[in-house]
Amino acid sequence: MSRRFVVSLLVLVMALSLSPAFSAVKNSAGRVLPPDAAPLEYQVLRVMSQPATTLDWFISVYKRTNEANNYFGEPLVRLNKNFEIVPAAAKSWSVSKDGLTWTFYLDKNIKWTDGTPLTAEDFVFSFQLAADPKHGWDFAWFYSPIKNWDKAVRGEVPPSAIGVKQGKDPYTLVITTEYPAPYLPMMMLYSTPLSKKAYEKYGPYYNNDPKTSVSCGPYVLEEWTKDKQIVFRINKNYGGRVKPYLEKIIVTFGDPGTSAFKAYLAGEIDICGYSNSQIFTPADLEVIEKDPELSKQFHQGFGDFRTFYLGFDCYNPPFNDLRVRRAFAHAIDKEAIVNTIIKKQGIVAYGFLMPGFPGSNPEGLKNIITYNPELAKKLLAEAGYPDGKGFPALDMWVRADLASPTVVAAANAIGAMLKKNLGIDVKITVKETKTFMDALNAHKLQFYLVSYGMDYLDQSNMLGIWVSTGRHAWKNDRFDRLVKEASALLDKKKRDEMFKEAEKILVEDVGGIFLWHQTPGALWKPYVKGKDLEPDKYGITALHWPGIEGVGTTIFSIYISKDVLKYRK
Amino acid sequence: MIGYIIRRILGLVIVILLASMITFFLMHAIPGGPFDELKMPLPAEVKAQILKKYGLDKPIWEQYLRYIWRALHGDFGVPFQSPTETVLSLIARVWPVTLQIGAITILLSFTIGILLGILSALRQNTWIDYLVTTLATLGTTVPNFVIAVWLMLIFSVTLRWLPTGGWGEPKHLILPVLAYFLAPTAVIARFVKVNFLEELRKDYVRTARAKGLPERTVIFKHVFRNALVPIITLLGPMIPDLATGSVFIEVTFRVPGLGKFFYTSAFNRDYPMIVAMILLIAVLWGITYLITDIVYALIDPRITFT
Repeated sequence: MSRRFVVSLLVLVMALSLSPAFSAVKNSAGRVLPPDAAPLEYQVLRVMSQPATTLDWFISVYKRTNEANNYFGEPLVRLNKNFEIVPAAAKSWSVSKDGLTWTFYLDKNIKWTDGTPLTAEDFVFSFQLAADPKHGWDFAWFYSPIKNWDKAVRGEVPPSAIGVKQGKDPYTLVITTEYPAPYLPMMMLYSTPLSKKAYEKYGPYYNNDPKTSVSCGPYVLEEWTKDKQIVFRINKNYGGRVKPYLEKIIVTFGDPGTSAFKAYLAGEIDICGYSNSQIFTPADLEVIEKDPELSKQFHQGFGDFRTFYLGFDCYNPPFNDLRVRRAFAHAIDKEAIVNTIIKKQGIVAYGFLMPGFPGSNPEGLKNIITYNPELAKKLLAEAGYPDGKGFPALDMWVRADLASPTVVAAANAIGAMLKKNLGIDVKITVKETKTFMDALNAHKLQFYLVSYGMDYLDQSNMLGIWVSTGRHAWKNDRFDRLVKEASALLDKKKRDEMFKEAEKILVEDVGGIFLWHQTPGALWKPYVKGKDLEPDKYGITALHWPGIEGVGTTIFSIYISKDVLKYRK
Repeated sequence: MIGYIIRRILGLVIVILLASMITFFLMHAIPGGPFDELKMPLPAEVKAQILKKYGLDKPIWEQYLRYIWRALHGDFGVPFQSPTETVLSLIARVWPVTLQIGAITILLSFTIGILLGILSALRQNTWIDYLVTTLATLGTTVPNFVIAVWLMLIFSVTLRWLPTGGWGEPKHLILPVLAYFLAPTAVIARFVKVNFLEELRKDYVRTARAKGLPERTVIFKHVFRNALVPIITLLGPMIPDLATGSVFIEVTFRVPGLGKFFYTSAFNRDYPMIVAMILLIAVLWGITYLITDIVYALIDPRITFT
């Protein structure tokens, strides 16, 4: 090798090392920041959330915040922006031939911040705690497919009898189910474990205090000032596969519905509108549309595949008569409601499963119930209520936490349509959430407007809530059988067909009147960048469900670009 | 007078007991509970366990007696919303925040309100009077949460001088106090103006003037004192009102104070917090009225206690 060549090579290496591509900045966890990233001190994401009681899924699902979860732990799997399951704490998994036993192989590189490795024991402990009736867990219905789960929850067998066990070694977790549940890995999005050691030492709220908090996830707790803010700092020793760019996440507490948009406009937070508590009001949307800068920052999404619908007490008159339910369904002009009231925050629903959700069938269901006031009148007359005569006056309950100005306007429009087309008087009552749910779950609600958003991407979840043991006072034996059987089927094609038939029954038998699917939007500042904010495989640029929660991959791809220097002081 | 005070305190104890009893029974009569069933009904066993965990499985009268017994020993329970602290420590943590805003508001609204009231009385039908009347009308008719949004849009979103909310630095105090103080200031200004005008027309003022007393002495020595006595009636109720905070102001400006707990406690069925807050209000109002009555007697020699 000639001397000249060596010298040239050295010069080239030196030149390259000075170029931006080679002078890359690494963050505290050792991840190289993208070339257009702002300096490290700017790698802070500021968001707003409702105050929290806990951050741990297995402590309380409803007393966590939607916006600041699962950064401390590593769920078995995560969801990417294309709604595909990707490995997290489990680097791989397999299922037995009979579809009843799932084996998750844990990533040995993941450790808790106290140095203890994350093992199957932590998962077993967390699941057993959730199944223990003494814990009184508020989401205890969720893991029903797991073997002995329901029995443990009812106190018939000890929590140790549930089908969540350690496998052949501490890094193998085995989950057995009562029946084949092909969607089990999807359910394991919700498996962010507690540290058994920390729980036993400090109790259920060990993660509420930086001194006792233990993390195996991408972030650690730096500060939790009650009712003010939580600050997460990057976990330098995080051994998982998706290292984040952001050095810090600051979660300011407030009522996002009241304050987030104004705080966003004032430049105090970087993202808003990504959770159900942050839906924009029609007035907010108008402001956004009229502002050229803001409208560029607005990204239409599809939230959590939420469907708004009208429900009935189908066990008692007058709604135990299918003709009455069909009359109602034909009397409501959904297109008009969406076009004039919901606008860009929703699309017309023909069934319960939103387009894009696995197995959704809008085209197949579109023509079952159409807007047809004449037919509606005829059906109502056949049911014994010509022109609404003799029909009891109705009180439509709207659940308060969903009753945004838009939803209340839609409820009033429905009331007016029922009066005009059927001659029925409908009063609209916004009912406090707990009172509403108490009546709904007890099957005592006669007529109501509510919504449901998915928990995991499988038909068994969305359609499962319509089986007769669920919250609705509607029963169809064939529907119940189809959903139960399809949920346990491994043959995907047959399974999809059965779910399709079940949804068709739900629409035909008018278990509910499906009105619109919510398509909320989010705002993020131009300096917030990341792969997960780029268009997905469907071409939609949106902050996909579950937003910036740690069970999704979004938070790991987000970084702050140099543009921030123009915005932040 | 001491006998009167003792009687009043005894009456207050009865009021507190009654308030606690009514609240306790009413809140248990509302559907729902500290459990959450937003999506699906919880298994009955889990629900029963949650009720047991919070001692809600016992008959209601037993729950009430246990509560009172514990409360008499200084134990008001653990708030469901914040299980890592007690009701008392939560109140001790958040109340000073509300008190701080309340105290500044009272101080500002009384100083400015009295000043504006006197000015508009002395300069009746001039631009000062019209300005005060306009401000007073605005202050009494526009709710403070609307003012809060206006202030936020002007000072935070457009000018970016002040934060939209938060707590911990003096700048966080400005907008909540501004939003808060307009209404009481307006009421005080109107009240002072009317009283002042009424006093100015009284015979003793004419006599004082006829005696050749300088106008300043007439106003500040005679009219001022007599016109301000009725303001105590205003100050009284304002103290417990401002000391317990406003849900709207605190939620809008993200102030971690006591006010928002009135709302969140009810919506979360946080029974220990609900009773504690009602008791707190009952005590505050009771004491305020007692003190107001005593102060009346001290200022106005015509009032005696029997």
